[in-house]
Amino acid sequence: MKIAIQLVEVLAVFVVIFYLYCRSPAFRPLMPDWPRPRGKVRLYLVFSGIAILGNYLGVPVVEGQAIVNARAVGAVLAGLLGGPVLGLLVGATAGVHRVTALGGAAALAGAVATTLEGGLGGLVHLALKRKPELLMTPKVAFMTTFVGEVIHMGIVLLLTHPFSRAVAVVEAIGPAMILMNPIGSTLFMMVLLERQREEDRVAAASSERALKVAERSLELMARGFRPAVATDLATIVKEETGVGAVGVTDTERILGWAGLGGDHHRPGRPIASPYTKQAIATNTVVFADGIRQAYDCTVSPSCPLSSVLITPLQVDGTVVGTVQLFEPRGRRFLNMNRSLGEGLGALLSSQLLISRYQEQKSLLVLSELKLARAQVNPHFLFNALNTIIAILRRDADRSRELLIHLSNFFRKNLKRSSDVSTLAEELEHVGAYLEIEKARFEGRIVVETDVDPSLVRLTLPAFTLQPLVENAFKHGLSGMLAEGRVSIRARRLDGAVVVEVEDNAGSWTGPTDGSGLGMQIVDKRVKNLHGKDFGLSVECTPHEFTRVTLRLPAEETPPA
Amino acid sequence: MMRALIVDDEMHAREELGSLLRQTGAFTLLGTCADAVSALQAIRAERPDVLFLDIQMPAISGFELLSMIDDAEMPRVVFVTAHDEHALRAFEENAVDYLLKPVSLERLVRTVERLRLAPADPGVAAQMRTAIHRIPCQAGRAIKLVDAAEIEFARSSEAGVYVVCPRGEFFTELTLRVLEERAGLVRCHKQYLVRLDRVEEVRLDEGTAMLRTRSGKDVPVSRRLLPEIRERLGIS
Repeated sequence: MKIAIQLVEVLAVFVVIFYLYCRSPAFRPLMPDWPRPRGKVRLYLVFSGIAILGNYLGVPVVEGQAIVNARAVGAVLAGLLGGPVLGLLVGATAGVHRVTALGGAAALAGAVATTLEGGLGGLVHLALKRKPELLMTPKVAFMTTFVGEVIHMGIVLLLTHPFSRAVAVVEAIGPAMILMNPIGSTLFMMVLLERQREEDRVAAASSERALKVAERSLELMARGFRPAVATDLATIVKEETGVGAVGVTDTERILGWAGLGGDHHRPGRPIASPYTKQAIATNTVVFADGIRQAYDCTVSPSCPLSSVLITPLQVDGTVVGTVQLFEPRGRRFLNMNRSLGEGLGALLSSQLLISRYQEQKSLLVLSELKLARAQVNPHFLFNALNTIIAILRRDADRSRELLIHLSNFFRKNLKRSSDVSTLAEELEHVGAYLEIEKARFEGRIVVETDVDPSLVRLTLPAFTLQPLVENAFKHGLSGMLAEGRVSIRARRLDGAVVVEVEDNAGSWTGPTDGSGLGMQIVDKRVKNLHGKDFGLSVECTPHEFTRVTLRLPAEETPPA
Repeated sequence: MMRALIVDDEMHAREELGSLLRQTGAFTLLGTCADAVSALQAIRAERPDVLFLDIQMPAISGFELLSMIDDAEMPRVVFVTAHDEHALRAFEENAVDYLLKPVSLERLVRTVERLRLAPADPGVAAQMRTAIHRIPCQAGRAIKLVDAAEIEFARSSEAGVYVVCPRGEFFTELTLRVLEERAGLVRCHKQYLVRLDRVEEVRLDEGTAMLRTRSGKDVPVSRRLLPEIRERLGIS
């Protein structure tokens, strides 16, 4: 009984040491490390240590020939966690130590038994490897150790001479070890599991925070990395991490600040801190823990901030700024915030990349549009001028009118800075174009317009109608020997507005014939604005007609 | 005085260029044409020295028109166009000059100088062997573009040249020589060309032969050309 109590004491010391180990920074979550050699080496060292400790903490009995010990706990656990090889190695190491360092009649038996117990743990590990949730349970630890200790006693009886001494040893140590060591293993497993769960909780909390920042910053970053969003971004990061202060900089100055020191770390100030400069120059995360390396504010001596983590923000490998997390003097910079801060750098960088990409995409559409406008068919311009010059010989008034139409046409081409225009404006633009074309193809072109008067105020993307009409000329009417006819119609249909441009040439050959760009842009813009139910469609019956139909949403006409 | 013909589909452009040509005092204006068929007719009838030719015209472009002119009738060519994207092509066609609309009188005077310096014989057109895929034909007042591959044979008569397709025959301004050189037809008789892959039956008759086309029309083969036709048809 006394021995059993002593063994409980031993186990208590043991568990305390193990618990401390688990709380220490040296502890790493075990699971992810298992398959890797380095993880196994660490396991070997830790559990050999535990097993050897079990030797020293043991209670000598039977005149020092035997020791009531907790060595088995280390070996069994090593086997359970790391497999047969690790179990055998830890068992053997502790066994050798038992024999060489301490000695005694039962030493050899103990050594062999511990090695086998390590192996037993390993076998259980193999058996339950596919179901880790069963393997890592206090019950399995208890049962394995229990069986192991029973075998241990058997081996003592077999290997210890004389037999009477063996019996004496087993009587002395048996009950205590068979009872107490399984309990010890169970406790170990519980400590381990508890530690593991806590690790998971921290990781979960940290991911949750990261996700929250991501969610809140996404919309912000979509607007691009600019001073207007920097302070909002800093505020979000500060709220989610709970650090003392958060700064956002570009590569030259502070863009936004939230928290302590805001009185002197004002947005717009140039970057002064050597840490920030270092992070920008080397494109690496810089950390000053406030103890070995302190953040010395170069701006104000009364600045409360002492530790900082600076993460560069980058787009395509180029640093465009930094995010900085600060803690004031007297507050430790949490490891969790440190890893979160580093992760945030990557997260915000990728958001920046997305926003940059989207920005470029819309720029592309815009430049295509500009190009299309600038790309007024040179044939149109020079033929128009030629026509006007010809008419000038006979009819100065008419040529003046045509010049005014031409000016109106180009003015409208150039002037559209607002992106939206009304159907009336579009018709005016097209009208100027048509007047010129009618003069050019004197007598060969007939234009019909049929527009629902209630639609003239309908808004649509600027420069929408002209490309359709121009296309009818460029690829249809101008190639006709007979009379050309172009109809422009606008009406309501099934709750939408339909604008049609139809010519009687019927020579549409699909979007590949170069008529594309202008019309494609019209289609793209309408779809971007109103969704894929709207936009352009083309019908063509060769030699009869080509009809380009633009579907737009019918919006309520704003009151006059 | 050089005899000039203007070909442009735009009325005002024709008028304007006509006025300018008169102003130089170097040209006699034979007429103006709005399309390829009337241009071919006018070239045949008037034999102009210089053709002022627009490139972008409906149905048949200026370049296509050139490929349809018989070498013997080829005038010298000045392209007149609104945009310079065709300048290189025009250069390859050995045009005497290339004018951009609107044309100034000063610029046209330089063209006159070039025309005077350039050899009177065009010589140019000889290398214009561009294949013709569509044959402009007259069908009432309209122009019909007959797909060259549809033509079974062509014949010339007092009235002119006709191309014959399964669905009928059409009058064209193109000469047999142009059709032979550029439309894939083979000479089988002084007055006939035939598309060999449309020949379905050959009837030999004392040194001459009669070919029957798929649509059942007869085409004579002359004594002189029979050996060549036999060889090309693979009949020994």
